[in-house]
Amino acid sequence: MSTELTTTAGAAGARSQAIGRFLSRYGILLSFLILFVILSFAHPNFLSTANLMNVLRQVSINGILAIGMTFVILTGGIDLSIGSVLALTGVVAGSLVTGGDPYNPAIAFFAAVGVGALFGAVNGTLIARFSVPAFVVTLGMLSMARGATLLYSNGRPIPNLSPEFRWLGQGFIAGIPVPVIIFAIVFIAAWITLRYTVYGRWIYAVGGNVKSAKTSGIPTRTVIFSAYLLMGALAGLAGMILTARTTSALPQAGLGYELDAIAAVVIGGTSLTGGVGSVVYTLIGALIIGVISNGLDLMGVSSYYQQIIKGAIIVVAVLIDRSRNLNP
Amino acid sequence: MALNTFTRRGLAMLAGVGIAALTIGQAAAADPVRIAAVVQSLDTEFNVLWANAANEHPLVKDGSVKLTVLDGRMDALTQSNQFDTAISEKYDAIIFVPVDIDAGNDPVQRAKDAGITVIGSNTLISNTDLYNAYIASNDVEAGKMLAKSVFDKMGGKGNVVIGEGMIGQSAQVQRLQGIEETLKDYPDIKVLEQKTANWSRAEALSLMENWLTAHAGEINGVIGENDEIAIGALEAIKAHGLDPKTIPVAGVDGVTDALLAVKRGEMMSTLQDADAQAQGAIDLALVAKQPDYKPQAKVWDVNGGKLAWEGGKSQHYSVPWIPVTLDNVDGLLEMRKTQ
Repeated sequence: MSTELTTTAGAAGARSQAIGRFLSRYGILLSFLILFVILSFAHPNFLSTANLMNVLRQVSINGILAIGMTFVILTGGIDLSIGSVLALTGVVAGSLVTGGDPYNPAIAFFAAVGVGALFGAVNGTLIARFSVPAFVVTLGMLSMARGATLLYSNGRPIPNLSPEFRWLGQGFIAGIPVPVIIFAIVFIAAWITLRYTVYGRWIYAVGGNVKSAKTSGIPTRTVIFSAYLLMGALAGLAGMILTARTTSALPQAGLGYELDAIAAVVIGGTSLTGGVGSVVYTLIGALIIGVISNGLDLMGVSSYYQQIIKGAIIVVAVLIDRSRNLNP
Repeated sequence: MALNTFTRRGLAMLAGVGIAALTIGQAAAADPVRIAAVVQSLDTEFNVLWANAANEHPLVKDGSVKLTVLDGRMDALTQSNQFDTAISEKYDAIIFVPVDIDAGNDPVQRAKDAGITVIGSNTLISNTDLYNAYIASNDVEAGKMLAKSVFDKMGGKGNVVIGEGMIGQSAQVQRLQGIEETLKDYPDIKVLEQKTANWSRAEALSLMENWLTAHAGEINGVIGENDEIAIGALEAIKAHGLDPKTIPVAGVDGVTDALLAVKRGEMMSTLQDADAQAQGAIDLALVAKQPDYKPQAKVWDVNGGKLAWEGGKSQHYSVPWIPVTLDNVDGLLEMRKTQ
């Protein structure tokens, strides 16, 4: 009798463990597919090419930020300053292409990415070289970059941006929106870097265990610095796209964007303690957020529900992550 | 939200240092009238225009009025604290652009109890009787003008979508009221969708893209409760490959981008007169101190404008809205350059 009970319990335990493993590995992908199928039935236009392009375009800004955030979080850090840095790069880029004359959009591209990288480098130096906690450094930068944005733009939008520049946000290449193409390039480059390069392995190693990474000869400080540098540059890229999309450089752009980027990373199952995660799942995380907001808009559901659903998914994603850590 | 507050707080501290330095620098000048302006947030374009206009008031420029603009950072508690500061610093008058319609009452009561003149401007508090006087444009009327301009262009029938402001703010509540009252006169207009875009262009852009997908070919008009929302919707219409001239879009405020869009014939807008609201408020603060004061703002009838001054004795002044048209848009754009 008692043996029987134990066996049953053991089998059930093994089964639930197997389910747990399956869920932690494919849970996010599965939730995304289920969501996708439901929305396809819920609204006839959801699956139309035009709508899917819309979703991808809407996702591209948060997606680019989330890819940078994946690097930062993989090293065990966090970057709260990106929404403000995005706004700053937007107004700087905008100010260079305003006034109605034709401009080469490359000027704005280099300015936005350059300013973003500069702020990323400041964050990275303070965090990697002076060992100030990333939360504190980037919280301070969140405030300083917003202040600099308002100062630079006098708190007013910069209108009248050149059409060549706006093409970066509004144009198409072979029917695909330009922001989506930029996003795809960033994603593929990030995926290859993390999966196939030595640098990618360093990122994981530093986040997994800094001490053992150091003893095995990895330049940990440089690796951590580089993650913030990259994040800043990508915030600049996203700022450029946002500005081109909204047709004016808006000083109040990007409020709270850091939280959406972190949400995408966390929903994708990247561990906030570092060392574990993947940009592929970050992409799915960003797509989930984008598809929910698009789908609920199509169905005419109040935006209040969107916030509740997004929050619930974040908590569930971390819950799955926890269960993986508890039952290895 | 907490982070947001932090950002703004950091800026305020910087501003605070600046104000302190200014105060010390000017302490030697002969007793100017000291006015504190507590505004909603200096990162919205209208408030910036308002503050710039206030600083352009002739008596502020010549130094006989010392104006201090305090940034409320879109937070009712911050504004309440700024009132406390202004009261303990014994300012002669406070001009108030409240963030919240109800939370604004109590600070005004405290200032009144301390014997300080309080003038309301732009947005309202629910108990306007507390003010010595207030000067604002009627947002219900703006909602009506907004809706009517779109409905008339649609020929009085068809489907509209409404992009709303931040739910609960007086401009959102009152502009929506105006829209709804107008809807009663147009039985053949149907509201397909109505959702908040939080005054934001980027949010309105995504929202409108999704609506254009959900109701392909069914949307005949767009009402944005401010210009930012209308411009976001306009960009979505263009990105969708539709001709903006076939779908009337309207907003309120007259921000620079909206003026440019009106000029291109792509949208309609109504200008909220920041000069009149800001400089008029300063005039009202000064006349409360010296009854024989001669007002300076151009909007007053005594200076050739359209608003009756009435010796500064009235309690409520309603600044007329200025519909932006092809005839006046060039002049307004020219004026914007100097603001």
